[in-house]
Amino acid sequence: MGGQHQPTRRRFLQTAGAAAAAPYVITSAALGQGAIPPASERIVMGGIGIGNQGQWDQEAFLGRPDVQYVALCDVRQSVREKYKAKVDERYQNRDCQTYNDYRELLAREDIDAVHVATPDHWHAIQVVEACRQGKDVYCQKPETRTLREGPLLIEAARRFARVVSGGSQRVLEDYTELVNKCWSGELGPIKWINVNVGPLSQLCNLPAEETPADIDWDLWLGPAPWAPYNALRCSGSFATTGGSWRSYVDYSGGGMTDWGAHHFGGATFAVDVREKQPVEIEYIADPQGDHLAFHYDNGVILYHNRPKTENLAVEGTPGQQREAKPVPVYKGEGGIYGDFIHCVKTRERPFRDIELAVNTIAVSHLGTIAYNLRRSLKWDAAAQTFTGDEEANRYLDRARREPWVL
Amino acid sequence: MLDQAFEALKTYDWGTDVAVLAPIDEAVVATSGDSASREQLERRLAAVLAEDVSRDAKDYVCRKLMAIGTAASVPALAALLPSAELSHMARFALERIPAPEAGQALREALASVAGSQKVGVVTSLAGRGENESVAALARLVGDGDPAVARAAVIGLGRIRTPEAARALESAKPADPQAKLEAIDARLACAEALLAAGKKAEALAVYKPLAGPQQPKHVRLGATRGMLAASGKKAD
Repeated sequence: MGGQHQPTRRRFLQTAGAAAAAPYVITSAALGQGAIPPASERIVMGGIGIGNQGQWDQEAFLGRPDVQYVALCDVRQSVREKYKAKVDERYQNRDCQTYNDYRELLAREDIDAVHVATPDHWHAIQVVEACRQGKDVYCQKPETRTLREGPLLIEAARRFARVVSGGSQRVLEDYTELVNKCWSGELGPIKWINVNVGPLSQLCNLPAEETPADIDWDLWLGPAPWAPYNALRCSGSFATTGGSWRSYVDYSGGGMTDWGAHHFGGATFAVDVREKQPVEIEYIADPQGDHLAFHYDNGVILYHNRPKTENLAVEGTPGQQREAKPVPVYKGEGGIYGDFIHCVKTRERPFRDIELAVNTIAVSHLGTIAYNLRRSLKWDAAAQTFTGDEEANRYLDRARREPWVL
Repeated sequence: MLDQAFEALKTYDWGTDVAVLAPIDEAVVATSGDSASREQLERRLAAVLAEDVSRDAKDYVCRKLMAIGTAASVPALAALLPSAELSHMARFALERIPAPEAGQALREALASVAGSQKVGVVTSLAGRGENESVAALARLVGDGDPAVARAAVIGLGRIRTPEAARALESAKPADPQAKLEAIDARLACAEALLAAGKKAEALAVYKPLAGPQQPKHVRLGATRGMLAASGKKAD
C-alpha cells in the first residue's frame, strides 16, 4: 500500500493541477478559493468511531478549510448514516464513504490522517495499524488501555515518522492559570500537586439482551473478552460508575483514566514532569481514604485523592527561586485540532505528542495497579516493568481476544 | 464467606450481581504473601474450570488465575485452549502467568489448535516474549492460514531478537496489509539490533526497506534507521 505505482488522489490532483489541458476536471473549489486551500494542499481525513466523542472530533476537522473529510467508520449503521449525512451536507455532495471495518478505511491510500475515538480497548490496535498504513493520527484520550500498549504506540509513531497526537484539549486549556503560575517560577520549586479523580472501572456482568441489527457486536468487542450484548455495556454515556463502557474494566479504566487523562495531564504539565513517568507509586493506607503518592526522580510528588486536599492544589517553595520557562502552546490555529493539522503539514511534534500522552495515562494505569494490589510499587520506566514485583507485572498487559493482534 | 462465593460460582451467569464473588476478589488480595492460603485459593479456582459451570463463571475464574496462577493451574487452563468459547480467557491467564510452564503449554498447544484459536495462541506467545518461542513462531511465518502467518510475523516483531529478525527474512506475504505488518516487524527487529550495538545487522534490515519501491513512510522510517546506525541524528 502506498507504493509509487498506484496514483493517489493527491498525486493525481497535483499532476492534474499542473497540466494545462486538464483544468475542466478540476473545480474551483478543488483548486482553492480565497481562504480555502486547493484540494492538493488539504489534509485528507477519515474518522474511526464517530458515535460518541468522535462526533465532536469530526465536527472540528470538518469545519476546517484545510481538511477534506472523505470517510468514516463505525460499527453502528445508524451512526454511519447520520454522520455521513453531516459530511455530505458540508461539502454538498454524496462522496463521504462509510465503513464498518476500520481496516478498510485505513487501507485507502488517499487518506493522510485519521481521528480515532473508539472505546479505549481499541485504541492501540487501530493507532498502530494507522501508522503502519502511513497515516497520521489524532487519538482520543485515554490513548491506551494497558501500560504495555504505550511504548508500542510511541514506537509505531516514531518508526514510520508519523504525527500522532493524544486527545485531551483540557491539558492546555483548562489549567492555564496554574500552568503559568508554575512555569513562571512564581511558586518556586514545586514540592507536590494533588489530583482528585476516579473511580476505577469495574467488572461488567450485565445480562444478555437481544443484539440489535444496527450494531456489529463482535467488532465492537474486538480484542476485549467476549460478552453478550447489553445496551448499557456499550453506551457511550460519560458515566464512570455504571451503565456505560467507560465504567467497565474490559473497555476503560473508569474515571481514573477517562478524567485522569485530563487532570493528570494538566497536573504533570503544570509541575513540568510530563516528559517523565513516576519511579515509585506509594500506597498510603489512611482512615480518611487510601490514596497514592507518585514520586518522580526530581523529587516532585503527584498525589492522588489526598484527603482534604483540593483537586490541583499545588505546593511550591516560597522564597526560593525557580527559573522561569516559556510555556509550550499549540501550534497553528484552532486549538488542539489545529495543532494536529499544523503538525501534519509541517511534520513537527504536536502539543499532545503521543509520548506525552502515554506518560500521562501511565500514571492512571500505575495508580490503578497499586490500588488493586493495595501496596506500593517501584516503577522502572526505562524497562517498563515493576521492580521486584512479579504479581504487579502481570497487570502490564492483557491477552487480546482472537483474532486481534497488537 | 469464601465458601459461599465459590458456591455462587456454580450458578453465576450474565446478569448475576458481581458482588456475590467479592469474597474471592478479596481473597486474591489478602493472600498476597501467604503462600499456603494462596495455593489453596488457586487450587479451588482451577478446579472450577473442570466443572459444569457457565462460560461466565469460567471467564471470572480465568481473570483471577491471571492474577495468582502458577504452574499448578497451567494444565487446567491449557485444556481450554482448543475451545472456541474459552480459549481467549485461558490465554488471558496463561499469557500473564510468569511460570515457564505457561509458555511451554502455549507452544505445545500450537499442534492441536487451528484457526482463530491458533492466532490467539501465537499472539499470547508473542505477548510473553520468550526467546524459546521464536523457533515455533518462525515455523508459522509461511503457514497456510494467512491469519496465523500474520500473527507469527507480528509476534516475531514483538520478540525482536536476532533470531526473530532472521526468521522474518522468509516472510513474503502477498496481502498488502500483511506486507506492511512484515515491514513493521522487521523494523522493530532492526531497532532492537541497533540498541544492542549490532549496527551492521541493523543496516542489513534497513537497507532494502529504504528502496524506491517502498511506500514513503517506510522509506522514511528505514532511512532514519540507517542514519541512526551510522551514528547520525535522525531528526
